[in-house]
Amino acid sequence: MNPLIALLVIVPITCALLLNLLHNKDRTIKIIATIIAIFLPIIPLFTSYGLHYFGAYSTLAQSPTLAQWVPSTITNSVLNLYHMGIVYSFGSAQQVLLIVLGIIAFLAIITSLNEIKRPSGVYAFLMFMLVAAVSAIILSDDIFNLYVFFEIAAIAQVGIIIASKIKGNYETALKYMILGSIASPLFLVGIALLLGITGNVNITDIAYSLKTGIINPQNPVLLMACGLIIFGWLYGTGLPPFHTIKSAVYSKALPHGAALLQAFSVFILVALGIVIFRIFSYIPFSKTFIIAISLAAMILSITMALMQTDFKRIIAFLAVGELGYIGIGIGLGTAYSITAGLFQAVNEAIITAFLFIGFGTIMYLTKETDIKKLGGMMIHYPKAALLVLLAGLAMAGVPPLNAFQSKFMLIQSSLNAGIPELGIIMILLSIVTFMTFMKAFYAIYMRPEPKELKINVSKIPKATIFSLVVFLIICLVLGLFPQIATNALQPLANSLI
Amino acid sequence: MIIGSQLASFFTAGALIIIGIYAALFLDNLIKKVIGLAFIGDGANLFIITMGYKLNGIVYIFLPGMSIDFFAQNASYPLPFALVLTSIVIGASTLAVMLGLIILLYKKYGSIKASKILGE
Amino acid sequence: MSLYDTIINKIKQIQEYDKENEPVTNIAASSTLAAEITLLSSILVAVIMLRYFSNALMIVAVILVVAIAFFAMPIMPKLKREQNDSLNSMIFYIIIALGIITALFYWGNIHV
Repeated sequence: MNPLIALLVIVPITCALLLNLLHNKDRTIKIIATIIAIFLPIIPLFTSYGLHYFGAYSTLAQSPTLAQWVPSTITNSVLNLYHMGIVYSFGSAQQVLLIVLGIIAFLAIITSLNEIKRPSGVYAFLMFMLVAAVSAIILSDDIFNLYVFFEIAAIAQVGIIIASKIKGNYETALKYMILGSIASPLFLVGIALLLGITGNVNITDIAYSLKTGIINPQNPVLLMACGLIIFGWLYGTGLPPFHTIKSAVYSKALPHGAALLQAFSVFILVALGIVIFRIFSYIPFSKTFIIAISLAAMILSITMALMQTDFKRIIAFLAVGELGYIGIGIGLGTAYSITAGLFQAVNEAIITAFLFIGFGTIMYLTKETDIKKLGGMMIHYPKAALLVLLAGLAMAGVPPLNAFQSKFMLIQSSLNAGIPELGIIMILLSIVTFMTFMKAFYAIYMRPEPKELKINVSKIPKATIFSLVVFLIICLVLGLFPQIATNALQPLANSLI
Repeated sequence: MIIGSQLASFFTAGALIIIGIYAALFLDNLIKKVIGLAFIGDGANLFIITMGYKLNGIVYIFLPGMSIDFFAQNASYPLPFALVLTSIVIGASTLAVMLGLIILLYKKYGSIKASKILGE
Repeated sequence: MSLYDTIINKIKQIQEYDKENEPVTNIAASSTLAAEITLLSSILVAVIMLRYFSNALMIVAVILVVAIAFFAMPIMPKLKREQNDSLNSMIFYIIIALGIITALFYWGNIHV
């Protein structure tokens, strides 16, 4: 029993509730939010690996004091090995994912406290609840617990969009809720089908019972469950057909909120993708489908990104398109490709947060997001321009930054699997991604300034520059020493095969 | 033809989900769309709770004087009830947020047609 | 408006018989060209992957893609207009995707 694992979820929830109560007391909110946000990446560093049982007992086989009260018809069957209660599992891969999530949350929260005129307790509540929900989704070994936190995260996301005061945000929030209310109950029906067939909501037990043949794996109900759970996964992550609403959601939130929202999408793609792989990888069509939908995500989103005129929409479509790389890594199904996919997820979360906060400075300074009306920002803010340029190079996969290592691993794994076309498409779309970024960068920073452009605020807050520099340092460190992340992610990939 | 109550409940849950998807897709009034979405959630909840049906089963409360073997053989499945309770609460809170947003949008646009508010 | 009229209007719209004339900037034109080339080349390379299922299927698919691209160019403006922000088109594509996923997984009997 490891209490720090439970604290990973309880600390953000408690802080969120506290900050909600303290709304309107600006200084207290700033101090408490900054202190707890510093702890968010630090707690996973000190947590030891293992399982945490919320029912206080693991299995009947490992609790002889409990097993003596249970009739032998139960202890002599497979029920002896099933977990009782909700289980959270913390390994090296979850540690890396939670540290990255903590860093992104910390930087997004301090950026939001310094860019908004009056720090809002309710906005901080929403961001901390989103962090708690994503942490629980990464840790949870119980599929219904995952669904509950998935729904909490959906409502927190809607709250973050509503709080942004950008034109059209209420409509986008309502559209997102309507589409979510179609997709989530169907995801729940998929979970219910799994429960009905296997009698279990614990993922380890379901995978065990399918692998050892206690439940017939060829049962057609399991095929339906696979289809519905994959449909719910598409909604959570923003793969097609949900890519348009996801990019609308990113563009209607404030940039630091969008940085946290895209971290949610990336981590739920990883967490639910690993769950789907663990339970359903014996169905070959599931892996083919994951590869196909990831390809569709990349192609549709990156071509749409080229056609946009609002720079937040451009970055939003690029963020949705980059998720396809992670999906290809998971869909190829070898240990090397899953490690590459997980590493790409870590890099994508950091780089997209870097881009959102970097381009968000433009919105903070000029309140203008149409690239036809912007220009010449490099003269006023050369340091910010350099940082944003490095973020774009990172997204394109330029060495020595981090996405180069992960995209290289992905292309190599697709060649090893014997499907070179995936490698060709990945390289082609990386080039087009870079071209799209350079189009936005040129239009905002490099071409002459239009006369009508008004810069309302003269200085970018120090917290924003600090966030951008920290992101850049992480990108450089992961690019030069990728073993820091891949050695931690590899045990999870090896355990799936 | 007489169908058992579990099979009839599964059919009802399926019918609720289909009616809900029809309402969310085809009806133009926003409140009717939201009612359809509530139908989809209700259908999913009915589906889960029907999973716990046991023919001639007893309520899963271990009364004093009951033997463990009798309880284990005859109790209906207790897990779906806990899941459905959580799911109903989640559905209610999502519904509340959606209705609040509709009130705000009605004040802004003066109409409740989805094609006007959420169209292009 | 009846369902028949809606369908006819939609087909006319896709065939661009009712064009709206709005000014186009240089950046928008070159972006559309780049997006067009990207879309066609990545779809062609993706279709070549069908060789794992059957060679004949791949040849038919490649010829179909080239023919459709030839007759329906430019694809990108139509694709952009179709992926708009309206709720009705989003729900339509989502229900179609749900139907395709359910049909493929449940009745597909696919062992690929």
